[in-house]
Amino acid sequence: MALEIYAYKCRKCGQLHYPYRMVCKKCGKNDVFEFDTVPLPKNGKLLTFTTVHNLPPDFNVAKLTLGIVELENGMRVTGQLKAPSPKMGMRVTGKVEIVREAEYSKNFGFVFYPG
Amino acid sequence: MREVYAVGVGITSFTRLEYPLSEIAAYPAMMALKDAGLSKVDHVYVANMAAARLNHQSGLASAVVDTLSLTPAGAEVIENGPASGASALKQGYMAIASGLHDVVLVTGAERLREVNNLEATDAVATLSHPLAEYIYGVTLPSLAAMFTRLYMQKYGVTERHLAMVAVKNHDNALLNFYAHLHEKVTLEGILDSPEAMTNNPYVAEPLRFFDCCPVSDGGACVILASAEVAKKLKKPLVRLAGVGQATDSHCVHERAEPTDLLAVRGAAAQAFKMAGVTPSDVNVAELHDAFTILEIAESEEVGFFKKGQGHLALERGETRIGGKLPINTSGGLKAKGHPVGATGVGQAHEIILQLRGEAEKRQVKDAKIGFTCNFGGFGNNVVCLVFKREN
Repeated sequence: MALEIYAYKCRKCGQLHYPYRMVCKKCGKNDVFEFDTVPLPKNGKLLTFTTVHNLPPDFNVAKLTLGIVELENGMRVTGQLKAPSPKMGMRVTGKVEIVREAEYSKNFGFVFYPG
Repeated sequence: MREVYAVGVGITSFTRLEYPLSEIAAYPAMMALKDAGLSKVDHVYVANMAAARLNHQSGLASAVVDTLSLTPAGAEVIENGPASGASALKQGYMAIASGLHDVVLVTGAERLREVNNLEATDAVATLSHPLAEYIYGVTLPSLAAMFTRLYMQKYGVTERHLAMVAVKNHDNALLNFYAHLHEKVTLEGILDSPEAMTNNPYVAEPLRFFDCCPVSDGGACVILASAEVAKKLKKPLVRLAGVGQATDSHCVHERAEPTDLLAVRGAAAQAFKMAGVTPSDVNVAELHDAFTILEIAESEEVGFFKKGQGHLALERGETRIGGKLPINTSGGLKAKGHPVGATGVGQAHEIILQLRGEAEKRQVKDAKIGFTCNFGGFGNNVVCLVFKREN
């Protein structure tokens, strides 16, 4: 089964949220029980990116590339980027993988690849 | 509402300090009490972000109030990330304006260098969204870097402009005894020469080492008082005339226009409105240049320059000491340093010195109106203050 990351859709007005809210940011009329979860699309374009050289101690790599991606439904997400020569505006496809591991925790999140 | 005056100031060097956090908070407070000529206060606010996490100390305010022998005055810690300092000043303002207290001591302190640089970076990175940003390895430099790339594309800001901010603020810090970095830098050394890549490597591309503030320890204090108390003291009258605060989405990626800093815009507009002045009335400003790009972006968002033109004003030298509107005369976070919780109080400290005419070699001539912008998270919680010299 492919792993998904979910957006939160307001049952009153249809507004999508990522990350989650407990009250809709558009209509403000629902509560936490009135959201539907909708899988985020995986394809999009790279809005901006950076290669970070001073990473927190959890990361056992010298550097890591991060980016903000605009998905095909217009929503934006932050994620890790595995592309040899990233360019602003390039097409990317996301996979849900382990992005951060510490002694007692594993975090899944978006990793984007060219294409 | 009652009027509120800044009657006393004190500061430590922003650097690596080898003494306990409670003393880093209490030392500038002691200096400020002396400066004001006061021995008792009604209330103490301590601005701090990471004491429990990095220094193994909770309830810092209780330690500070006792160290200063100010008990039984009330005392609280105010935590609002990097904007803790200005937030604590805002609390002090409200306590006096409301009539609850007459004299409030606001001290900010941070001791980040008790841990190594990467742990300090991680502690500050916890300001980002835990599930949608932090897990990926997002740090504040990385958010600033992604913002910079968009800013460069949209407004034509270049690495040279960023380096110009660093050069200017390092020059200013040379005139400030309390600044962290007393080190002259040149465009040649950090940008143009063949050694520039070694002198000034990338931290988070396109931001380099000299685009980022140092990791500092330090404390700063401002004592606020009612008009009745302030007018009995012998110091020049500096009034805290405007206070503004605004928030924005926690995640940077959710902002409709990611190059806008709406919280800065909103907080500054409120502060100016309350003080009854406009951005063009300001004589001296301290902006939150944790990254060089932020000095440029904030100078636009608060209304000093049109959006997209801050880097042009910088090029023309308008923001230097001696220019039309000197920005970060203290050296800014870039060179004076950034002890996170203390930074906002440190900014106010500089502006109060400038308005009193006590800023020595970096004095801005006839400064009457000063402004500070204290930027929390990556622009998700911003507090702006306007100070006015009276008499």
